[in-house]
Amino acid sequence: MTRTTDRSHHVIAASELQPGQRVLTEIRGREVGVFNVDGQYYAIGNYCPHMGGPCAEGLVTGMFDADDRGDVSFTRDGEILCCPWHGWQFDLKTGDHLGHSKLRVLTYDVFEEDGELYVRM
Amino acid sequence: MATDTTSSRRFGDLESPIVDADFHLTEQVSDLVPYVERPWRELFIGHNPFDESAEFFDPFPSAGIMEPHITTGRAEIFSPDAVRSADDVEAGMELLGVDLPVVTPGAVMLSVSLVHHDEVAAALARACNSFVLDRIVDETRDVYGTITIAGQKPRLAADEIDDRADESGMIGVYLPTGGLNPPLGDERYDPIYEACERAGLPLLMHGVGSGTMKSFPVQYEGFSRGMENHVIAHPFQHMVNLVSLVVQGVPERFDVDFVFQEAGIGWIPYLMYRLDNEYYARRDDAPMLSRRPSEYMTDDFYYTTQPLEGSQNAPEYVCAMARLMNAPECLLWSSDYPHHDFDHTNEIYRVFAREFERPALERIFGTNAHEVLFE
Repeated sequence: MTRTTDRSHHVIAASELQPGQRVLTEIRGREVGVFNVDGQYYAIGNYCPHMGGPCAEGLVTGMFDADDRGDVSFTRDGEILCCPWHGWQFDLKTGDHLGHSKLRVLTYDVFEEDGELYVRM
Repeated sequence: MATDTTSSRRFGDLESPIVDADFHLTEQVSDLVPYVERPWRELFIGHNPFDESAEFFDPFPSAGIMEPHITTGRAEIFSPDAVRSADDVEAGMELLGVDLPVVTPGAVMLSVSLVHHDEVAAALARACNSFVLDRIVDETRDVYGTITIAGQKPRLAADEIDDRADESGMIGVYLPTGGLNPPLGDERYDPIYEACERAGLPLLMHGVGSGTMKSFPVQYEGFSRGMENHVIAHPFQHMVNLVSLVVQGVPERFDVDFVFQEAGIGWIPYLMYRLDNEYYARRDDAPMLSRRPSEYMTDDFYYTTQPLEGSQNAPEYVCAMARLMNAPECLLWSSDYPHHDFDHTNEIYRVFAREFERPALERIFGTNAHEVLFE
């Protein structure tokens, strides 16, 4: 049984969105990407705050980081979303841009009820 | 390829067409070789012992610079297949909300002036023009091209300009400047300026990131990251050639519009005031000039906007620079599409609209480029 109320919008059955997968949907005229990252669900607006690219359609990957000595590692694989226009990187969990503290992509709450996923908007 | 979700422009009050003064192809060696004429074509028909996956030998030098947002695949729009047909150009026009793109090579040919074999470089430029006329230019769809030349042998470049000058679909001469030495004020390049003048075509100059570690100031070789190179490669190349052109009096000797592409704008007022400052003290070094250097820079030279530094976090800086360089007279909007750092029409319009009224915005976003390239 699925329902869509004023603020809760049905997206997909949770069983159809496995870890590492995403689905694009449209809610109240806005394109939204819903992601499963290791069993947790995240929803991100498909509009890059940089120049308006379709960021929710880009690669999901990780990030390079360096420790205090400058030794480089590749971390957080599967948690970083990249806009396909310019490759700008956003934290899938918060929407924050990795290099610009004031820039973030819109995020929305996702919840599961009776095996179905809903986005609050 | 996620290129079609945000397409048309969000501002609608300009009556003049939007001209994009730097819109790129992603031409590959395999696009060019079929058009290379004999005898030089013979050099390309064997196998490539250095790269078994390559169909043809790649004659374009590269410093092998790794750009992480490109080599990881993150900036998906900048792919080898992005712009290799008139249909591809039209898709980019739609994405950017552009009416008239000035299509220039933007992949391997950016390094043509670095090719070690001077005659092959000229043959590749000629092949590129044949490819562009055959596969890209389509005046019925408002898709125009430029005559690419290699700078190594200016006499051959002038022949190529003369040969293509009557093609109505070719609206400018395009010189990739990376690797050229001596700089462009030297008299060896005069045949190029004479040919541009004869053809009544502007000269568009474009730097390159990937090859310059081989040819630019020796400290470049000490860089260890692509960002160190890319952030200064374009403005430094233009500064070298611009001071050379001005001080040697090239704009006094030739009636050609010079267009400097892809270096942003902050370096322009900086160089204007530095040149004037020097000129006041030592005019004797530039006796051919009848005006201050800054006047040549705004009256005889044009500049394309991208990559517009500060557009994201310092729009007041962009507006100040634009004001100081008299942007409504000499600045041409450009996207650099589909390169990894392309600018979008909507975002850049929003920044300039803070400073300028509609007549000036129309000049920056189309009329200036229309006058230089289409009239």
